[in-house]
Parts: sequence; C-alpha cells; structure tokens
Amino acid sequence: MAEEKATLRSVGRPRSVDAAPASLALLLNLVRTGAATTRQELERRSELGRAVVADRLATMIELGLLKEGELGQATGGRAPRQMQFRQDAGSLLVSAIDQSSIALGIADLNGQLLVEHHEAAPIEAGPEVILDRLTTIFDWLLKETEKPAPWGIGLALPGPIEKPPTDFETVPVLQTVQSWQGFPFLERLSMRFGVPIFARSGVQTMTMGEAKAGGGRGLSDIIYIKLGRSISAGLISEGRLHRGAQGAAGMIGHSRVGEDLLEAVAGADAIAREGMAAAQDGRSSYLAQTLGRQGELSVVDIGHAAQLGDLFCLELLGLCGRMVGEALAPLTNLVNPALIVVGGVVAESGGDSLLAGIREAVYRQSHPMVSRDLQIVRSQMGASSGLVGAAQVVVEELFAPHTLQGWIGLGSPLRHPDFQKRLERMTASAAAKAAPPAGRVAP
Amino acid sequence: MNSKLRGQTPGDTAMSIAGLGPHGERAVPADQIQFTEADAVVARTRRFSVAVVLHTTTSDWSKQELAGIAATLGLYSAALVEVVDCDFDVELQVAALARLAHEPVDAVISIPIGNSRVAAAHRALTESGRKLVLLDNAPTGMLPGADYVSVVSTDNFGLGQSCAAMLSTHIPRDGAAGILGYGIDFFATHEREIAFRKWMGHHRPDVTLVRERFSELEGAGPAALAMVEKTPGLAGIFAVWDVPAMMALRVLAQNGIDIPLTTVDLGNEVALDMARQGMIKGIGAQLPYDQGSAAARVTLSALLGLPVSPWVALAGLEVTAFNVVEAYQVIWHLPAPRAIIDAMRILVATKGNSD
Repeated sequence: MAEEKATLRSVGRPRSVDAAPASLALLLNLVRTGAATTRQELERRSELGRAVVADRLATMIELGLLKEGELGQATGGRAPRQMQFRQDAGSLLVSAIDQSSIALGIADLNGQLLVEHHEAAPIEAGPEVILDRLTTIFDWLLKETEKPAPWGIGLALPGPIEKPPTDFETVPVLQTVQSWQGFPFLERLSMRFGVPIFARSGVQTMTMGEAKAGGGRGLSDIIYIKLGRSISAGLISEGRLHRGAQGAAGMIGHSRVGEDLLEAVAGADAIAREGMAAAQDGRSSYLAQTLGRQGELSVVDIGHAAQLGDLFCLELLGLCGRMVGEALAPLTNLVNPALIVVGGVVAESGGDSLLAGIREAVYRQSHPMVSRDLQIVRSQMGASSGLVGAAQVVVEELFAPHTLQGWIGLGSPLRHPDFQKRLERMTASAAAKAAPPAGRVAP
Repeated sequence: MNSKLRGQTPGDTAMSIAGLGPHGERAVPADQIQFTEADAVVARTRRFSVAVVLHTTTSDWSKQELAGIAATLGLYSAALVEVVDCDFDVELQVAALARLAHEPVDAVISIPIGNSRVAAAHRALTESGRKLVLLDNAPTGMLPGADYVSVVSTDNFGLGQSCAAMLSTHIPRDGAAGILGYGIDFFATHEREIAFRKWMGHHRPDVTLVRERFSELEGAGPAALAMVEKTPGLAGIFAVWDVPAMMALRVLAQNGIDIPLTTVDLGNEVALDMARQGMIKGIGAQLPYDQGSAAARVTLSALLGLPVSPWVALAGLEVTAFNVVEAYQVIWHLPAPRAIIDAMRILVATKGNSD
C-alpha cells in the first residue's frame, strides 16, 4: 500500500529539488519490503533512470541505510548484486502495558523482535511507577544486548487510543486508564529516549502482531478478539489495520447480551464470579476445594477445572464462548475474514470448550460463503503479539512515504524537522511545568 | 525472607512463582502436570522413544536433569534413546537437531544454546512431526503450539529476587551492592539480573548498584576484583550463577578481600563454602531433577495428545548455611558430601558454645 502511493507520487523524472527525497524514499521502501533488490529491478519498479538509481543507492549506502548484499539470480551475463536494507541501522523499543503485566522488547528496523521480557505489574501502581519500570528495563536491555540506538518507541495501552492530529504529535489525553488522565506518559517516554513514540490500543497491536508473525501470517483479512477482564476486537481488512474515525474501533465488549454488557457477563471477572458462586453453593466440588485451598478463584482455576472434566466449568466456558460468538457473528458477516484469532487470559485458560462455543455461534449465524473457509483458532503468541504489533506500528509510521521523505536525506527519523520541533516543544513545556512560578510567590 | 527458614524443612521454603513465561504466560506449576491411571496405561502401551539435547552433559545440573528425565520416562515405559552433548556449540546443536528430525524418535527435549541462531533448527524438528519440549527458554520468535510444545523452566525471576533479599541483609544503609553479570544474550541470566535489580530498587532504594560483566568464565574473577576496587564501600555481590561466583570468590580471597556473595544453584563448592561460613551467604537453587521429571511428564502429555500449557515452571529453593545439608538432599537426591556435614558440625558446635 505504502509502496503503491509512492509509485504514483514519483511518476516521471524528478525535476524539482524535492524530488530527491521522493526517489530516495521510493527506492528504500522497494528494497526494505523486498519488492525489488537488484539495480535492474529497482529501475523497472521505480521508473527512474539508471543514473538516478545509481546516485540514490550510493547516497543511501553512505547514509548507512542500505548495503550491498549477496549476488542475485543471473538473467544472462553477470549475476546482479542485491541491495539490502540495514535493519540494524537503528532499533525500536516496544512495550505493551496491560492491566496486570507489562511486556518490553527491542526489535530491528524490520520489526523483528530481538529480545523480550515480561513481568507482573499492576496498572493501579500508577503511571509514574510504570514509566520508571519501562525506562529502567529499556536502559538495561539496550546496554545489555548491545543493540543499536533506538529510532522510535511503539506502545500498546489497555484501551482505545485517539488518533493524533499530526505526525509526531502524541495523543493529547490518555483516555485509556482513568487514573492516568492528564499524566504526560507518552511525552515523558518520548523525551527520555529522544525518539518519536507511536501508541495504539493493546488489541490493535495484538491484531497486527498476529497478522505479522502469528496465525494470521500471510492473510489480509483477520479478526483478533481479546478475552480478558474486558473484551475487544481488532480488524485487519485487506492488509490494513482498521482504526476507526477516532481510533476506537473494536469495542465489542460493549455490545449487549440481554440487559448486560458482553464483558460484564463473559469477561474474566464475570467468569471468576460465576465460579465463586458455584464453589459456594456446591455446583462444583473441584472449585470448592480450590477455593478452600487458595482463598480465591480466577479464570485460570476455572479453565484448569474444565480440563480435568468439571462439568460446571465446561458448561460455563461453553456458554461464554457462545455469547462471544454471537457478538462476533455480525462482524464476521460484515468483513468476511479468513481467520479469527482468540487471545487473552480467558482464551488461554478457557480450553476447547470455550473455542467450541465461539465456533458454534459464529458458524450458526454466518452466511455459508462467509463461514466456508473461516478458521477460528486460539492465539499462540500470548503477550508477544502486542510487542510484534507495536514494532510493526513504528515501522509503518517511520517508513510511510510522506514521513520517510521528511528524514531520508538526513539518514535518521530522529533528524526529521517535524520531530525536532515537537521534541523542542515537549522539552520547553516540561521545563515550564517544572520551573518555579515566576514573580513574587509570597508577600 | 530468611527468617522464614527457621524451623522449616527445605520443602516448605520453596518460593512461589514470581516470573512470567517467555511470551508473558502465567505459570502452570510443574506439580500440576499429572497423569490419570488411564493415561498412564496408554503411555505404557505405546512405548515412546525420546531423545535429549543438552548444552553439556558434564555439569551437576545436567546430570540431575537427565536423571529426572530418564527416571520419569522409564516409569511410563518410554525409552530415552539418545542424549546429545552439544558442548556449548551452536553448530553441534543445529546438526544434532537436523539429524534427529530423521531418526526414529517421537519427541525431543532440548535446551536451546544460542538465542536466535538455533531457532530454525528447532522449528525444523517440529515440522518433521516430532514433539519438541524446551528447557529453560524459547528462542525469541518461536511460538508454542506451532514451533514447540512447552517450555519447562525454573522461575529465574524468583531466583533473582531471592538472591537480592538474601544479600540485602548484608548491605548497610546507603551502601553499595555489585552484580556480576553474564555478557552473553542468555534469557535465564537476564531474568535473574532484572529481578535482582527490581527487588533492590523496590525494597532497598538506598543501595547503589554497580555491575561488571564477563563473557568467558575466566573473566569472572578479574571482573569481580575490578568492581571491588572501583567501588569503595561495596558491601556485597550477586553473581548470576555458582561457577562464576566461585571464580570471583577465589580471586577476591587471593587479594585479601572478604565480601558477602549470593548466587544461583547449589554446586558442591558453593555449598561447602557456605557451610564453612565463607563468603557465600545465600543461594537461590534450581531443582534440576524435578525439572527433568516435569519435562518428561510434559513430553508424554504432548505425545498422548493431552492439553499442555506453554510454560511450566518450578519454584526455586532458598538455601543458607542453616539448611544447606537438607537442601542438598532435596536438590541433588543424594546425601550431602562428608566435608559439608563436617563443616556444619563444627558450625553447630561453635554456635552451641557461644550461645
């Protein structure tokens, strides 16, 4: 898609001084995505002349963005030298913050995860604590694994993220977490590492991660549904993530089941509550024993009980699956996905009965053509999908043709004039807040 | 944390699982992986063949891990048909996995040596139709279900926290503590160091942390010495496992330095030093026999088509001079060596006299 736009932009010979960044960006994206790697292919795909291609490639080798790689397939005569994108020219810091845990990783410029770490961290601890934890671990990982300096941060947050008005602008207010409102989380993280930051909702990055490296690899139309304390979905349609007008697409936990919200009857807390009731009134002897031993129950215990054949838990998870499936069915009819991936703690613990419930409802209510080849599977990536997706978000943003053209001649997105200005503004505003009030403060 | 030890058996001091799995999974405790009688009967009839690929077979850890695997597989009439010693060589591991993908084995239990460098070979083994169970870690990018069955690991995060807590009692207020870290991209030692730092940051924000790294074992001693010389008032060191801890200890002792150390794994040398009231003050120990046994049960579950969790974890064990003899028995399934028992007798006698 990105590449298609760029091709349209650069039809004809570059005539103005602005044309150099355009051709540089076009050629870089062709090599980076593997669409064209030899000089001959690049000339053909870019419709640029041999001298221009040679000049631009030399420039990008000098800038450290490309290198000459192995010999390609000979088509008569000498085998051509293939150009390679320097995915190690910089690195990407990625993090996914969830209700009860954080995940962090470093990826290369192709979005390939190089190292990851997950740890428990309750979001109630507050933004200052989580921010401190993120910077500490990023610092440590960068030093420890000797990865190149970062070019950007990708962040996944639990809840919808509003679209920023312009490039490099961070989201004005984090709607996501009540207690975090007004806290300059993204700005602080961006300033701390001196790199641009891009945020999406957790479910959106997980959808992108599943599409890049999970069950949806190679597919252009998938739905990802996250079943946790809340329920939400992500959609990739024709290869693109659907974000919606405000960036809040996918809030299917807010659909109604009778009088209640879906997530209030099929979310992790609801399942735990039902399990608790069954343990107390004797409908599940297994849960009663577990409750006696642990003093509390979670969806993990209910999943474990179902695995051991506890009838109450099997039925409970099957019912939740059907309720989720009923909310998914209209969506399935609307977008005709090739795959539905089910993730989140409920999916991880829910086992086959949950999945069977979802399949039953979706297949029953879908048009035969829509359900003919539709697969519904459990995610295998766990929280890693959020990290892979966050890296993908940064790659797409930094290498989007119009953004790329703004920095390619300078060799790094950190030198992009818009980002430089943004960084200055953020620094000035932070300094203003930190400075003591001007003038006389006391009589 | 140490105060809990008094009057308890080593089994009671097993820690709860603090870390998350390689993909953020919640741990399933290893003791939850059990068979019904019917499963056991089916397993015995099918007489599975299993191969094991280890980084080395000569360390105490590997020997116990193998013992646990072999004994448990044997219980269910599964044959351990081959044990490959990769001698820490990535190429050897890649070659061994490629060969096993064509051998008559039903499953392979492997400990990946290099992070991403061995991922493709492990994937290819799964693609050949054999079940793959990993020990300790999954290379970045490999996924459970598609690329492997499960990772069976000690809770390395918990071990790091434990070592921090045990060292903390030896660090005075506003003092400094050192980390002797491993300069190679290795998941288990990363997790231990991150956890150590987190515990200190949370419980002892007054303590300044310094660190030195070593990439080769021989470098551990000089690195520890450099850290002590550079940091006046350094009051304790955490080494990420026992072998470098002992190397550091020897170099420090040669230079007339006596400083408290905590580390991971109850090797013979650290156990003896601890019993003799040496520099080693506390150990977060893995239970390799139990880990091997769990890996064998996970492998059999996968071969039987039972649902398997992607991350099965074992809590470590906190060991101090107080419980070193009993912990030794629990961890190594052997009586503690004579020297350790004698050292403990002297210790008890001296304590008795001074009380």
